[in-house]
Amino acid sequence: MPQILSTKEANLFRQVIRDYEEKRYRAGLKAAEQILKRNPKHGDTMSMKALIMNAQGKTEEAFNLAKEALKVDFKSHICWHVYGILYRTNKNFEEAIKAYKFALKLEPESQQIQRDLAILQVQTRDYEGYVQSRFAMLKARPQLRQNWTALAIAHHLEGNLQEAERILTTYEKSVSVAPSKTDFENSEALLYKNSIISEQGETERALEHLEQECKKCLDRLAVMELRARYLAELGRKEEAETAYRALIDRNPDHTDYYKRLVDVLGLTAEDEAAQKAIFDEYSAKYPRSDAARRLPLDFLTGDEFRTAAKAYLGLMFNKGVPSTFANLKHLYSDSFKKDTLPSLAEEYLQEAEGSNAEASSDSSKGVGAALFFLAQHYNYHMSRDLTKALEYVEKAIQLDPKSVDFQMTKARIFKHQGDIAKAAEAMDQARLLDTKDRYINTKAAKYQLRNNENEKALNTLGLFTRAETVGGPLADLIDMQAMWFLTEDGEAWQRRGNVALALKRYHTVFNIFDIWQEDQFDFHSFSLRKGQIRAYVDMIRWEDKLREHPFYFRAALDAVKLYLSMYDKPEGVNGANGNNANGEDAAEKKKAAKKAKKEAQKAEKEAAERAAKQNPNKAQKDKEEEVKKKDDDPNGVKLAETKDPLGDAMKFLEPLLQFSPKNIEGQIAGFEVYIRRKKYVLAAKCLKAAQALDENHVKVQELAATMQKTMDGVLESLAPKVQEALKTELA
Amino acid sequence: MAEPQPPTIHEGATDDIETTTSKPAASAEDRKAAAALSNLDSNNTTDNTSTQVDQAAATNALNSVSAVSEKKLPVEASAKSKVKVDAADVSLLVAEFEVSKARATELLRQNDGDAVKTIRAFLQPAF
Repeated sequence: MPQILSTKEANLFRQVIRDYEEKRYRAGLKAAEQILKRNPKHGDTMSMKALIMNAQGKTEEAFNLAKEALKVDFKSHICWHVYGILYRTNKNFEEAIKAYKFALKLEPESQQIQRDLAILQVQTRDYEGYVQSRFAMLKARPQLRQNWTALAIAHHLEGNLQEAERILTTYEKSVSVAPSKTDFENSEALLYKNSIISEQGETERALEHLEQECKKCLDRLAVMELRARYLAELGRKEEAETAYRALIDRNPDHTDYYKRLVDVLGLTAEDEAAQKAIFDEYSAKYPRSDAARRLPLDFLTGDEFRTAAKAYLGLMFNKGVPSTFANLKHLYSDSFKKDTLPSLAEEYLQEAEGSNAEASSDSSKGVGAALFFLAQHYNYHMSRDLTKALEYVEKAIQLDPKSVDFQMTKARIFKHQGDIAKAAEAMDQARLLDTKDRYINTKAAKYQLRNNENEKALNTLGLFTRAETVGGPLADLIDMQAMWFLTEDGEAWQRRGNVALALKRYHTVFNIFDIWQEDQFDFHSFSLRKGQIRAYVDMIRWEDKLREHPFYFRAALDAVKLYLSMYDKPEGVNGANGNNANGEDAAEKKKAAKKAKKEAQKAEKEAAERAAKQNPNKAQKDKEEEVKKKDDDPNGVKLAETKDPLGDAMKFLEPLLQFSPKNIEGQIAGFEVYIRRKKYVLAAKCLKAAQALDENHVKVQELAATMQKTMDGVLESLAPKVQEALKTELA
Repeated sequence: MAEPQPPTIHEGATDDIETTTSKPAASAEDRKAAAALSNLDSNNTTDNTSTQVDQAAATNALNSVSAVSEKKLPVEASAKSKVKVDAADVSLLVAEFEVSKARATELLRQNDGDAVKTIRAFLQPAF
């Protein structure tokens, strides 16, 4: 039987909860212990104590105590709820859902538990369960619009569009007073409903709904864009034309509007003149619009192109637009354009020389801009001539020795020449021309990393990181999720043979994606409360394919390859993975790691002291939080000591294959891992995918040979059904 | 770094004892904040002037919704479970494909319970 508290102790219990919510963990713990002194078997208090301990980072003890609490009082929904929360914070969502469900059975009226359960269900994409939870929540409070919208979203995510729409309509019908014009939630809900109608493929009805219901929606742009799109899809060309023209008037630099306008007008690629006329019209109407001048270069050919390009380049050079080359290089797939553009730039230079007028004192304009363009042209991989590139960039630098852009291009030319050390040095010189420019600072650090100067790069970046971050620039870069840095740093460490730190960086990138996934938690309730549901649904869908991000791909592929090399050469890759061949090295590295740890602790302590001086109350809180944050393997030594590199590689590999199946590098890496793990069906799957992507890839042919050879040896030992399938499929 | 719990959730099973309004606030500032908070809450939870909901209408609407939501479920379940699968095939696929038992069963069912057919289908590029 649960113990019953006296009034005084019940008050104290409430205090414990308050302390927990406001993160006064010490006070809460003290109060909880005070209750337990008299009532050592009070389950709810034990649970609260466990919750506080968990927040302080004592996970194991917390779980033990929570289990004790359940033994004492297994019919308490508080105990079960806490048990669920413990699982949740430790990311065991499945168990957490079970515990929440049990708590809910004991206390079906608790909205708190119901809400926690619902959030967990949508987080784990258990849409069926989410629909049920949302339905229960709606039943409990049907007067709240949020609950209706939420149920609609649940149906929508589950793929039941009609039901989603019906829920929204049902709510709309039950409202007796028309919502005010400025009701944001209403406005968003209407547009959300419109998107659901459109997703069902009923464009006609979507247009109708949009025109009747969404006229006054606050997101005017969305309404205009949707309307134009629907009209175009329905083939109502004249109206669509007007709609797109209205959009261009709103934003004459939105390239997509022009493309759609051309489509709606039914102009084909051959209709150069007619297309040009449209763009001419708009460049006359909006002289400051870049899109209207630049886009014709995409479709124009021959002399028409030459004339238009000449005008465009002249304008850009006179203005001194540094991104001119970057804006035009996509044209280089057309060899005529690739040859015409530089000759136009040369012409421009000759004309400028001929007139011999000191155009302006600003070197980034006129001649300087043309020289810069040509330097970039000859540095670009499709039109590379590094000697010429260097010539032009030197001329440009002569004109203005203090230009960061010119110096930066020079460094890139060195890089393409293959002299990475010289490139890094040149980039650092460029950086010194403007030490307050974060872009060039980042660029310089990246070049240092390419030159395997990890420490120097960190110092360079340290000029821009927050000085007060505990743990220095590295900790700040991790906090800020600077993934480009982590990946480049890892690759540099790998080149230097430091497997431990390389793995550490790749794992850190991996964890950042985990954090992104977890960040969703906040939005399941927040977005609803704010009524921003269209953005919410977009986010959910984005999260579902989060790891197709190129940043993930690169770091994960690096990690898989590194694990493969660790498996193939257990020793010799480095000294840190426990082999005596390099014992001395290992000992040294351990020493270094120890030293680094000590330094980190020292820095932490100092920072804490500094903070304490500024704000004595805050310091304590920080300390409590920090307990959780501490990394027990800051240098990746434990990662490098792995006994099962292929198993560790799987963590990186699976999302690679799932989310970027069309990347041949991923399939190749997948094959290499699976064949070593003797998972022949999976290896064959990767091989077949790679062959489908590019049969003539050198590596793919190599893999096929490996597969064949391996099969010859092991086929007999496989299960008959596997044998049969592999024989037919690999034939 | 992600917080362990979103700020909008009150951790702890505090529902039955939670007394948001009777919290003794530490300072005047806190009291003001608390007042603002509870105002916010009431705006959100009880009927808002701008979107007044007819309680009776809402309940009615709810009834029509519940009728449909519940009758939907049993139909789907029956279609899938028709195909019989061999437990040995399931464990073979679990080992070869490295998937869960449920997924292996599902894949087998999609291929009429034929393991060879399932493996061959699995080997086809999924794009």
